[in-house]
Amino acid sequence: MGDKVFMQGNVALAESAIRAGCKYFFGYPITPSSEVPEYYARRAEEEGLVFVQGETETAVFNMIAGAAATGNRVMTATSGPGFSLGQEAMSFMAAAGLPAVVVEVMRPGPADGEILAAQGDYFQAVKGGGHGDYNTLVLAPCSVQEMCELIQESFELAEKYRNPVILLSDALLAKMRENVELPGRKEQNCDLSWALTGCAGRKHNVMTTCGDGSAQWEKYNLDLQEKFAKIKANEERWENYQTEDADIILVAYGSMARVAIGAMKLAREAGLKVGLVRPISLWPFPVKAFEGLGDKTFLVTELSAGQMVEDVKLTVPHKENVHFYGRLGGIVPTPKEIFEQIKKLGVK
Amino acid sequence: MKHELLFSGIGGQGIMMLGEILCNVAVEEGFQVTFAPFYGQEKRGGRTMCHVVIADGLESPIISEAELMLVMDEKSLKDFQNLMAPTGTLLVNSSMIDIEPDCQCKEVKKVPFYEIATELGNSKTANMVALGYLLKYMPYIPYEKVSKEVEKAFEAKPKVVPLNVQALKTGYEYK
Repeated sequence: MGDKVFMQGNVALAESAIRAGCKYFFGYPITPSSEVPEYYARRAEEEGLVFVQGETETAVFNMIAGAAATGNRVMTATSGPGFSLGQEAMSFMAAAGLPAVVVEVMRPGPADGEILAAQGDYFQAVKGGGHGDYNTLVLAPCSVQEMCELIQESFELAEKYRNPVILLSDALLAKMRENVELPGRKEQNCDLSWALTGCAGRKHNVMTTCGDGSAQWEKYNLDLQEKFAKIKANEERWENYQTEDADIILVAYGSMARVAIGAMKLAREAGLKVGLVRPISLWPFPVKAFEGLGDKTFLVTELSAGQMVEDVKLTVPHKENVHFYGRLGGIVPTPKEIFEQIKKLGVK
Repeated sequence: MKHELLFSGIGGQGIMMLGEILCNVAVEEGFQVTFAPFYGQEKRGGRTMCHVVIADGLESPIISEAELMLVMDEKSLKDFQNLMAPTGTLLVNSSMIDIEPDCQCKEVKKVPFYEIATELGNSKTANMVALGYLLKYMPYIPYEKVSKEVEKAFEAKPKVVPLNVQALKTGYEYK
Protein backbone atom coordinates (compact mmCIF):
# COMPACT_ATOMS: atom_id res chain seq x y z
CA MET A 1 0.00 0.00 0.00
CA GLY A 2 2.74 2.37 1.00
CA ASP A 3 0.43 5.19 2.16
CA LYS A 4 2.50 8.03 3.53
CA VAL A 5 0.66 9.73 6.34
CA PHE A 6 1.23 11.82 9.46
CA MET A 7 -0.45 9.73 12.10
CA GLN A 8 -0.72 9.16 15.81
CA GLY A 9 1.07 6.05 17.09
CA ASN A 10 -2.05 4.37 18.50
CA VAL A 11 -4.05 4.98 15.33
CA ALA A 12 -1.29 3.85 12.96
CA LEU A 13 -0.88 0.73 15.08
CA ALA A 14 -4.59 -0.10 14.91
CA GLU A 15 -4.70 0.43 11.14
CA SER A 16 -1.63 -1.79 10.68
CA ALA A 17 -3.21 -4.51 12.82
CA ILE A 18 -6.33 -4.41 10.66
CA ARG A 19 -4.14 -4.69 7.57
CA ALA A 20 -2.41 -7.66 9.18
CA GLY A 21 -5.76 -9.42 9.20
CA CYS A 22 -6.57 -9.02 12.88
CA LYS A 23 -10.22 -10.08 12.84
CA TYR A 24 -11.08 -9.78 16.51
CA PHE A 25 -10.43 -7.03 19.01
CA PHE A 26 -11.54 -7.23 22.62
CA GLY A 27 -10.85 -4.06 24.52
CA TYR A 28 -11.52 -1.95 27.55
CA PRO A 29 -10.59 1.74 27.35
CA ILE A 30 -7.68 3.04 29.36
CA THR A 31 -5.43 6.04 28.74
CA PRO A 32 -2.99 6.10 26.97
CA SER A 33 -4.14 3.14 24.84
CA SER A 34 -7.77 4.09 24.15
CA GLU A 35 -7.33 5.29 20.56
CA VAL A 36 -6.40 1.74 19.55
CA PRO A 37 -9.79 0.19 20.41
CA GLU A 38 -11.57 3.41 19.38
CA TYR A 39 -10.07 3.34 15.89
CA TYR A 40 -10.49 -0.42 15.50
CA ALA A 41 -14.14 -0.19 16.55
CA ARG A 42 -14.77 2.55 14.00
CA ARG A 43 -13.20 0.52 11.20
CA ALA A 44 -14.72 -2.80 12.30
CA GLU A 45 -18.00 -2.28 10.50
CA GLU A 46 -16.53 -1.33 7.13
CA GLU A 47 -13.99 -4.16 7.30
CA GLY A 48 -16.34 -6.83 8.66
CA LEU A 49 -14.38 -7.26 11.88
CA VAL A 50 -15.50 -8.07 15.39
CA PHE A 51 -15.01 -5.55 18.18
CA VAL A 52 -16.26 -6.11 21.71
CA GLN A 53 -15.80 -3.79 24.64
CA GLY A 54 -15.62 -6.11 27.62
CA GLU A 55 -16.79 -5.35 31.13
CA THR A 56 -13.23 -5.40 32.52
CA GLU A 57 -9.76 -6.23 31.31
CA THR A 58 -10.06 -9.55 33.13
CA ALA A 59 -12.87 -10.45 30.77
CA VAL A 60 -11.10 -9.00 27.75
CA PHE A 61 -7.97 -11.09 28.22
CA ASN A 62 -10.05 -14.23 28.56
CA MET A 63 -11.96 -13.26 25.42
CA ILE A 64 -8.74 -12.98 23.42
CA ALA A 65 -7.70 -16.38 24.77
CA GLY A 66 -10.95 -17.83 23.50
CA ALA A 67 -10.69 -16.24 20.07
CA ALA A 68 -7.01 -17.19 19.74
CA ALA A 69 -7.97 -20.80 20.40
CA THR A 70 -9.93 -20.72 17.13
CA GLY A 71 -6.79 -19.75 15.20
CA ASN A 72 -8.08 -16.32 14.26
CA ARG A 73 -5.91 -13.25 14.56
CA VAL A 74 -6.93 -11.40 17.72
CA MET A 75 -5.58 -8.63 19.87
CA THR A 76 -6.19 -6.26 22.71
CA ALA A 77 -4.55 -2.99 23.77
CA THR A 78 -4.28 -1.75 27.31
CA SER A 79 -2.06 0.00 29.82
CA GLY A 80 -0.41 -1.15 33.06
CA PRO A 81 -3.48 -1.39 35.34
CA GLY A 82 -5.40 -3.32 32.68
CA PHE A 83 -2.43 -5.50 31.83
CA SER A 84 -2.15 -6.49 35.48
CA LEU A 85 -5.76 -7.66 35.43
CA GLY A 86 -4.97 -9.78 32.39
CA GLN A 87 -2.11 -11.76 33.92
CA GLU A 88 -4.09 -14.88 34.77
CA ALA A 89 -5.07 -15.18 31.13
CA MET A 90 -1.51 -14.38 29.97
CA SER A 91 -0.24 -17.33 31.99
CA PHE A 92 -3.05 -19.49 30.61
CA MET A 93 -2.36 -18.46 27.01
CA ALA A 94 1.35 -19.17 27.37
CA ALA A 95 0.56 -22.62 28.80
CA ALA A 96 -2.10 -23.39 26.21
CA GLY A 97 0.02 -22.13 23.31
CA LEU A 98 -2.38 -19.44 22.16
CA PRO A 99 -1.18 -16.91 19.59
CA ALA A 100 -2.71 -13.66 20.88
CA VAL A 101 -1.20 -10.22 20.45
CA VAL A 102 -1.30 -7.80 23.38
CA VAL A 103 -0.38 -4.14 23.10
CA GLU A 104 0.77 -2.68 26.42
CA VAL A 105 1.04 1.11 26.37
CA MET A 106 3.04 1.87 29.49
CA ARG A 107 2.21 4.72 31.86
CA PRO A 108 3.76 5.44 35.25
CA GLY A 109 2.73 3.18 38.12
CA PRO A 110 2.57 1.72 40.60
CA ALA A 111 -1.23 1.50 40.76
CA ASP A 112 -3.23 4.12 38.80
CA GLY A 113 -0.27 6.48 38.77
CA GLU A 114 -0.21 8.97 35.92
CA ILE A 115 -1.02 8.96 32.22
CA LEU A 116 2.27 10.11 30.70
CA ALA A 117 5.12 7.97 29.40
CA ALA A 118 6.94 5.38 31.50
CA GLN A 119 8.75 2.08 31.19
CA GLY A 120 8.12 0.65 34.63
CA ASP A 121 6.27 -2.40 33.29
CA TYR A 122 9.45 -3.90 31.81
CA PHE A 123 9.76 -6.58 34.49
CA GLN A 124 6.09 -7.46 34.24
CA ALA A 125 6.25 -7.88 30.47
CA VAL A 126 9.69 -9.44 30.16
CA LYS A 127 9.87 -11.69 33.20
CA GLY A 128 6.35 -13.09 32.90
CA GLY A 129 3.75 -11.08 34.83
CA GLY A 130 1.60 -14.09 35.59
CA HIS A 131 2.30 -17.27 37.50
CA GLY A 132 4.42 -20.20 36.43
CA ASP A 133 7.45 -20.71 34.20
CA TYR A 134 6.63 -18.98 30.97
CA ASN A 135 7.82 -16.26 28.65
CA THR A 136 6.16 -14.07 26.10
CA LEU A 137 7.91 -12.46 23.17
CA VAL A 138 8.16 -8.73 23.88
CA LEU A 139 8.81 -6.25 21.07
CA ALA A 140 9.55 -2.57 21.71
CA PRO A 141 9.30 -0.13 18.81
CA CYS A 142 10.90 3.32 18.97
CA SER A 143 8.93 5.08 16.23
CA VAL A 144 5.44 5.08 14.81
CA GLN A 145 6.87 3.46 11.67
CA GLU A 146 8.47 0.63 13.60
CA MET A 147 5.30 0.20 15.66
CA CYS A 148 3.34 -0.48 12.44
CA GLU A 149 5.87 -3.01 11.21
CA LEU A 150 6.24 -4.79 14.55
CA ILE A 151 2.51 -5.13 15.18
CA GLN A 152 2.19 -6.98 11.88
CA GLU A 153 5.18 -9.14 12.72
CA SER A 154 3.73 -9.83 16.16
CA PHE A 155 0.87 -11.81 14.61
CA GLU A 156 3.30 -13.90 12.56
CA LEU A 157 5.54 -14.59 15.56
CA ALA A 158 2.59 -15.47 17.78
CA GLU A 159 1.49 -18.07 15.22
CA LYS A 160 5.00 -19.31 14.46
CA TYR A 161 5.58 -20.22 18.11
CA ARG A 162 1.98 -20.51 19.28
CA ASN A 163 2.71 -18.08 22.08
CA PRO A 164 1.37 -14.68 23.14
CA VAL A 165 3.36 -11.69 21.89
CA ILE A 166 3.46 -8.35 23.71
CA LEU A 167 4.05 -5.15 21.81
CA LEU A 168 5.41 -2.83 24.48
CA SER A 169 4.62 0.80 23.72
CA ASP A 170 4.49 3.85 25.98
CA ALA A 171 2.41 6.99 26.29
CA LEU A 172 4.86 9.10 24.29
CA LEU A 173 4.99 6.75 21.28
CA ALA A 174 1.27 6.14 21.52
CA LYS A 175 0.18 9.78 21.53
CA MET A 176 2.88 11.15 19.26
CA ARG A 177 2.22 11.93 15.64
CA GLU A 178 4.93 11.20 13.14
CA ASN A 179 5.53 10.61 9.44
CA VAL A 180 4.73 7.01 8.65
CA GLU A 181 4.40 4.82 5.59
CA LEU A 182 1.63 2.40 6.47
CA PRO A 183 2.42 -1.24 5.69
CA GLY A 184 0.23 -3.19 3.27
CA ARG A 185 -2.18 -6.07 3.82
CA LYS A 186 -0.82 -9.32 5.17
CA GLU A 187 -2.41 -12.74 4.78
CA GLN A 188 -2.47 -15.27 7.57
CA ASN A 189 -0.30 -18.17 6.43
CA CYS A 190 0.32 -20.76 9.13
CA ASP A 191 -0.56 -24.26 10.26
CA LEU A 192 -3.86 -24.16 12.12
CA SER A 193 -4.37 -27.89 12.53
CA TRP A 194 -4.24 -27.42 16.32
CA ALA A 195 -7.04 -24.84 16.40
CA LEU A 196 -10.51 -25.40 17.83
CA THR A 197 -12.60 -24.98 14.71
CA GLY A 198 -15.28 -27.63 15.17
CA CYS A 199 -14.23 -31.24 14.72
CA ALA A 200 -16.52 -32.38 11.92
CA GLY A 201 -14.66 -35.04 9.94
CA ARG A 202 -11.64 -35.16 12.20
CA LYS A 203 -10.54 -36.16 15.67
CA HIS A 204 -11.26 -33.36 18.13
CA ASN A 205 -8.39 -31.15 19.27
CA VAL A 206 -7.75 -30.95 22.98
CA MET A 207 -6.51 -27.83 24.72
CA THR A 208 -5.93 -28.22 28.42
CA THR A 209 -3.60 -26.61 30.90
CA CYS A 210 -4.45 -28.87 33.80
CA GLY A 211 -1.66 -31.27 34.78
CA ASP A 212 -2.17 -35.02 35.14
CA GLY A 213 0.41 -35.75 37.82
CA SER A 214 3.88 -34.31 38.34
CA ALA A 215 5.63 -36.43 35.76
CA GLN A 216 3.21 -35.43 33.02
CA TRP A 217 3.29 -31.78 34.07
CA GLU A 218 7.06 -31.67 34.21
CA LYS A 219 7.14 -33.04 30.66
CA TYR A 220 4.59 -30.40 29.60
CA ASN A 221 6.78 -27.70 31.15
CA LEU A 222 9.95 -29.05 29.55
CA ASP A 223 8.26 -28.91 26.14
CA LEU A 224 7.36 -25.28 26.83
CA GLN A 225 10.94 -24.57 27.88
CA GLU A 226 12.17 -26.13 24.65
CA LYS A 227 9.96 -23.73 22.75
CA PHE A 228 11.23 -20.74 24.75
CA ALA A 229 14.82 -21.85 24.07
CA LYS A 230 14.04 -21.90 20.35
CA ILE A 231 12.59 -18.39 20.54
CA LYS A 232 15.69 -17.22 22.43
CA ALA A 233 17.97 -18.68 19.79
CA ASN A 234 16.09 -17.24 16.82
CA GLU A 235 14.30 -14.03 17.69
CA GLU A 236 16.74 -11.55 19.19
CA ARG A 237 16.27 -8.15 17.59
CA TRP A 238 18.26 -4.99 18.10
CA GLU A 239 19.86 -2.04 16.36
CA ASN A 240 23.33 -0.72 17.15
CA TYR A 241 24.34 2.86 16.33
CA GLN A 242 27.98 3.90 16.12
CA THR A 243 29.10 1.34 18.69
CA GLU A 244 32.36 0.34 16.95
CA ASP A 245 34.51 3.31 17.97
CA ALA A 246 32.46 4.29 21.03
CA ASP A 247 33.91 4.66 24.52
CA ILE A 248 30.48 5.03 26.08
CA ILE A 249 27.48 3.08 24.90
CA LEU A 250 23.94 4.13 25.75
CA VAL A 251 21.38 1.36 26.09
CA ALA A 252 17.75 2.37 25.64
CA TYR A 253 14.52 1.07 24.12
CA GLY A 254 11.17 2.51 23.07
CA SER A 255 10.69 6.26 23.19
CA MET A 256 13.70 6.55 25.50
CA ALA A 257 15.84 5.25 22.61
CA ARG A 258 14.77 8.29 20.58
CA VAL A 259 15.98 10.59 23.35
CA ALA A 260 19.21 8.57 23.46
CA ILE A 261 19.71 9.11 19.72
CA GLY A 262 19.44 12.85 20.36
CA ALA A 263 21.90 12.61 23.26
CA MET A 264 24.32 10.58 21.14
CA LYS A 265 24.28 13.27 18.46
CA LEU A 266 24.95 16.00 21.03
CA ALA A 267 27.86 13.98 22.42
CA ARG A 268 29.34 13.30 19.00
CA GLU A 269 29.12 17.01 18.14
CA ALA A 270 31.10 17.68 21.32
CA GLY A 271 33.74 15.15 20.27
CA LEU A 272 32.74 12.36 22.65
CA LYS A 273 32.63 8.87 21.18
CA VAL A 274 29.19 7.69 22.17
CA GLY A 275 27.14 4.88 20.64
CA LEU A 276 23.79 3.25 21.30
CA VAL A 277 22.51 -0.28 21.67
CA ARG A 278 18.76 -0.30 21.09
CA PRO A 279 17.06 -3.56 22.09
CA ILE A 280 14.00 -4.17 19.91
CA SER A 281 13.13 -7.57 21.37
CA LEU A 282 13.13 -7.22 25.16
CA TRP A 283 12.39 -10.91 25.51
CA PRO A 284 14.42 -12.51 24.23
CA PHE A 285 16.90 -9.90 25.40
CA PRO A 286 19.36 -9.20 22.55
CA VAL A 287 22.50 -10.67 24.06
CA LYS A 288 24.18 -10.74 20.65
CA ALA A 289 23.97 -6.95 20.40
CA PHE A 290 26.65 -6.75 23.09
CA GLU A 291 29.12 -9.13 21.45
CA GLY A 292 32.51 -7.50 21.07
CA LEU A 293 31.53 -4.57 23.32
CA GLY A 294 32.80 -6.13 26.56
CA ASP A 295 35.29 -3.42 27.49
CA LYS A 296 33.00 -0.45 26.96
CA THR A 297 31.30 1.72 29.55
CA PHE A 298 27.52 1.49 29.41
CA LEU A 299 24.88 4.00 30.41
CA VAL A 300 21.43 2.43 30.54
CA THR A 301 18.64 5.01 30.43
CA GLU A 302 15.04 4.12 31.19
CA LEU A 303 11.78 5.71 32.27
CA SER A 304 11.91 3.50 35.35
CA ALA A 305 13.84 3.05 38.58
CA GLY A 306 16.11 0.58 36.79
CA GLN A 307 14.70 -2.57 35.24
CA MET A 308 16.30 -3.37 31.87
CA VAL A 309 19.62 -2.40 33.43
CA GLU A 310 19.51 -5.75 35.25
CA ASP A 311 19.45 -7.62 31.94
CA VAL A 312 22.33 -5.52 30.66
CA LYS A 313 24.34 -6.42 33.77
CA LEU A 314 23.56 -10.09 33.22
CA THR A 315 24.79 -9.77 29.63
CA VAL A 316 28.08 -7.86 29.73
CA PRO A 317 31.25 -9.27 31.30
CA HIS A 318 31.98 -6.30 33.61
CA LYS A 319 28.83 -5.23 35.39
CA GLU A 320 30.78 -2.53 37.28
CA ASN A 321 30.95 -0.72 33.92
CA VAL A 322 27.16 -0.51 33.69
CA HIS A 323 25.67 2.79 34.88
CA PHE A 324 22.04 3.80 35.10
CA TYR A 325 20.00 6.96 34.70
CA GLY A 326 16.23 6.93 34.96
CA ARG A 327 13.29 9.30 35.40
CA LEU A 328 9.97 8.44 37.00
CA GLY A 329 6.41 9.65 37.26
CA GLY A 330 5.96 10.42 33.56
CA ILE A 331 8.95 12.68 33.10
CA VAL A 332 10.92 12.02 29.95
CA PRO A 333 14.44 13.46 30.12
CA THR A 334 15.70 15.70 27.33
CA PRO A 335 18.60 14.64 25.10
CA LYS A 336 20.64 17.37 26.81
CA GLU A 337 19.91 15.86 30.23
CA ILE A 338 21.28 12.49 29.06
CA PHE A 339 24.28 14.25 27.52
CA GLU A 340 25.03 15.76 30.96
CA GLN A 341 24.95 12.27 32.44
CA ILE A 342 27.34 11.04 29.74
CA LYS A 343 29.76 13.82 30.64
CA LYS A 344 29.59 12.85 34.32
CA LEU A 345 30.95 9.40 33.49
CA GLY A 346 34.22 11.17 32.75
CA VAL A 347 35.36 8.84 30.01
CA LYS A 348 37.66 10.54 27.48
CA MET B 1 18.69 20.28 9.95
CA LYS B 2 16.55 20.30 13.04
CA HIS B 3 14.08 22.82 14.48
CA GLU B 4 12.92 22.33 18.07
CA LEU B 5 9.71 24.12 19.06
CA LEU B 6 7.48 24.21 22.14
CA PHE B 7 3.94 25.56 22.42
CA SER B 8 2.07 25.67 25.71
CA GLY B 9 -1.14 26.99 27.15
CA ILE B 10 -4.36 26.04 28.91
CA GLY B 11 -6.80 23.45 27.61
CA GLY B 12 -9.30 25.15 25.29
CA GLN B 13 -6.85 27.74 23.95
CA GLY B 14 -6.26 25.68 20.82
CA ILE B 15 -2.60 24.90 21.32
CA MET B 16 -2.95 21.34 19.99
CA MET B 17 -4.78 22.53 16.91
CA LEU B 18 -2.13 25.15 16.27
CA GLY B 19 0.57 22.49 16.50
CA GLU B 20 -1.26 20.03 14.30
CA ILE B 21 -1.90 22.56 11.53
CA LEU B 22 1.74 23.54 11.54
CA CYS B 23 2.92 19.91 11.51
CA ASN B 24 0.63 18.94 8.65
CA VAL B 25 2.17 21.65 6.49
CA ALA B 26 5.71 20.72 7.55
CA VAL B 27 5.03 17.11 6.52
CA GLU B 28 3.67 18.33 3.21
CA GLU B 29 6.92 20.25 2.74
CA GLY B 30 8.83 16.98 3.00
CA PHE B 31 10.16 17.25 6.55
CA GLN B 32 10.38 14.47 9.10
CA VAL B 33 8.10 15.77 11.84
CA THR B 34 7.21 14.71 15.36
CA PHE B 35 4.32 16.17 17.30
CA ALA B 36 4.42 15.10 20.94
CA PRO B 37 1.42 16.31 22.96
CA PHE B 38 1.28 16.47 26.74
CA TYR B 39 -1.88 17.14 28.64
CA GLY B 40 -3.48 16.42 31.96
CA GLN B 41 -6.57 14.41 32.75
CA GLU B 42 -8.86 17.46 32.74
CA LYS B 43 -11.21 18.01 29.83
CA ARG B 44 -10.93 21.79 30.17
CA GLY B 45 -8.60 24.14 31.98
CA GLY B 46 -5.69 21.72 32.31
CA ARG B 47 -2.25 22.19 30.88
CA THR B 48 -1.75 21.51 27.18
CA MET B 49 1.73 21.56 25.75
CA CYS B 50 3.45 20.09 22.75
CA HIS B 51 6.97 19.51 21.58
CA VAL B 52 7.35 19.82 17.82
CA VAL B 53 10.49 18.73 16.00
CA ILE B 54 10.85 19.51 12.30
CA ALA B 55 13.89 17.78 10.86
CA ASP B 56 15.28 15.86 7.92
CA GLY B 57 15.80 12.55 9.76
CA LEU B 58 14.97 10.54 12.86
CA GLU B 59 15.30 12.74 15.95
CA SER B 60 14.21 12.77 19.57
CA PRO B 61 10.58 13.90 19.86
CA ILE B 62 11.58 15.42 23.20
CA ILE B 63 13.38 18.69 22.68
CA SER B 64 16.50 19.86 24.51
CA GLU B 65 16.14 23.58 23.80
CA ALA B 66 13.39 25.48 22.05
CA GLU B 67 14.55 27.76 19.24
CA LEU B 68 11.00 29.05 19.18
CA MET B 69 8.58 28.91 22.11
CA LEU B 70 5.03 30.16 22.47
CA VAL B 71 3.53 30.52 25.95
CA MET B 72 -0.12 31.47 26.22
CA ASP B 73 -0.40 31.66 30.03
CA GLU B 74 1.75 32.50 33.02
CA LYS B 75 2.16 28.96 34.31
CA SER B 76 3.44 27.84 30.93
CA LEU B 77 6.05 30.59 31.00
CA LYS B 78 7.19 29.65 34.49
CA ASP B 79 7.31 25.93 33.75
CA PHE B 80 9.05 25.93 30.40
CA GLN B 81 11.22 29.05 30.10
CA ASN B 82 14.20 26.98 31.28
CA LEU B 83 13.93 25.09 27.99
CA MET B 84 14.66 28.21 25.89
CA ALA B 85 17.69 28.04 23.63
CA PRO B 86 20.07 30.99 24.29
CA THR B 87 19.73 31.82 20.59
CA GLY B 88 15.97 31.33 20.56
CA THR B 89 12.89 33.49 20.43
CA LEU B 90 10.22 33.49 23.12
CA LEU B 91 6.69 34.58 22.20
CA VAL B 92 4.67 35.69 25.18
CA ASN B 93 0.90 36.13 25.12
CA SER B 94 0.83 39.52 26.85
CA SER B 95 -2.97 39.38 27.10
CA MET B 96 -2.62 36.85 29.89
CA ILE B 97 0.96 37.18 31.12
CA ASP B 98 2.05 40.09 33.30
CA ILE B 99 5.28 38.68 34.75
CA GLU B 100 8.67 39.16 33.12
CA PRO B 101 10.40 36.12 31.60
CA ASP B 102 13.43 34.99 33.55
CA CYS B 103 15.53 33.13 31.02
CA GLN B 104 18.37 33.55 28.58
CA CYS B 105 17.28 33.89 24.99
CA LYS B 106 17.94 36.07 21.97
CA GLU B 107 14.65 37.90 22.03
CA VAL B 108 11.33 38.07 23.81
CA LYS B 109 8.28 39.22 21.87
CA LYS B 110 5.21 40.22 23.82
CA VAL B 111 2.07 40.12 21.72
CA PRO B 112 -1.51 40.59 22.98
CA PHE B 113 -2.96 37.63 21.04
CA TYR B 114 -6.35 37.82 22.79
CA GLU B 115 -6.83 41.58 22.26
CA ILE B 116 -5.99 41.16 18.59
CA ALA B 117 -8.40 38.24 18.24
CA THR B 118 -11.17 40.09 20.12
CA GLU B 119 -10.80 43.10 17.81
CA LEU B 120 -11.19 40.74 14.85
CA GLY B 121 -14.47 39.54 16.31
CA ASN B 122 -13.78 36.38 18.29
CA SER B 123 -11.25 35.83 21.07
CA LYS B 124 -11.25 32.11 20.29
CA THR B 125 -9.11 32.79 17.23
CA ALA B 126 -6.17 33.89 19.41
CA ASN B 127 -4.45 30.61 18.58
CA MET B 128 -4.58 31.40 14.87
CA VAL B 129 -3.22 34.91 15.51
CA ALA B 130 -0.38 33.23 17.41
CA LEU B 131 0.21 30.72 14.61
CA GLY B 132 0.45 33.55 12.10
CA TYR B 133 2.92 35.39 14.30
CA LEU B 134 5.00 32.20 14.76
CA LEU B 135 5.32 31.84 10.99
CA LYS B 136 7.35 35.07 10.82
CA TYR B 137 10.09 33.05 12.51
CA MET B 138 9.68 29.98 10.34
CA PRO B 139 10.77 30.84 6.80
CA TYR B 140 10.86 27.11 5.99
CA ILE B 141 7.05 26.89 6.35
CA PRO B 142 5.14 28.66 3.55
CA TYR B 143 2.44 30.96 4.88
CA GLU B 144 0.08 30.28 1.95
CA LYS B 145 0.05 26.55 2.67
CA VAL B 146 -0.70 27.15 6.33
CA SER B 147 -3.58 29.37 5.31
CA LYS B 148 -4.99 26.54 3.16
CA GLU B 149 -4.48 24.12 6.05
CA VAL B 150 -6.46 26.42 8.37
CA GLU B 151 -9.33 26.31 5.89
CA LYS B 152 -9.13 22.52 5.91
CA ALA B 153 -9.00 22.34 9.69
CA PHE B 154 -12.30 24.24 9.97
CA GLU B 155 -14.05 22.71 6.95
CA ALA B 156 -16.66 21.12 9.21
CA LYS B 157 -17.63 24.65 10.38
CA PRO B 158 -17.51 26.71 7.16
CA LYS B 159 -18.93 29.78 8.93
CA VAL B 160 -15.78 30.28 11.01
CA VAL B 161 -13.26 29.69 8.19
CA PRO B 162 -12.92 33.34 7.06
CA LEU B 163 -12.46 34.56 10.61
CA ASN B 164 -9.70 32.06 11.35
CA VAL B 165 -7.93 32.71 8.05
CA GLN B 166 -8.12 36.44 8.83
CA ALA B 167 -6.73 35.82 12.32
CA LEU B 168 -3.79 33.93 10.84
CA LYS B 169 -3.12 36.78 8.41
CA THR B 170 -3.39 39.42 11.10
CA GLY B 171 -0.89 37.58 13.28
CA TYR B 172 1.47 37.10 10.35
CA GLU B 173 1.39 40.81 9.50
CA TYR B 174 1.44 42.12 13.08
CA LYS B 175 4.47 44.34 13.72
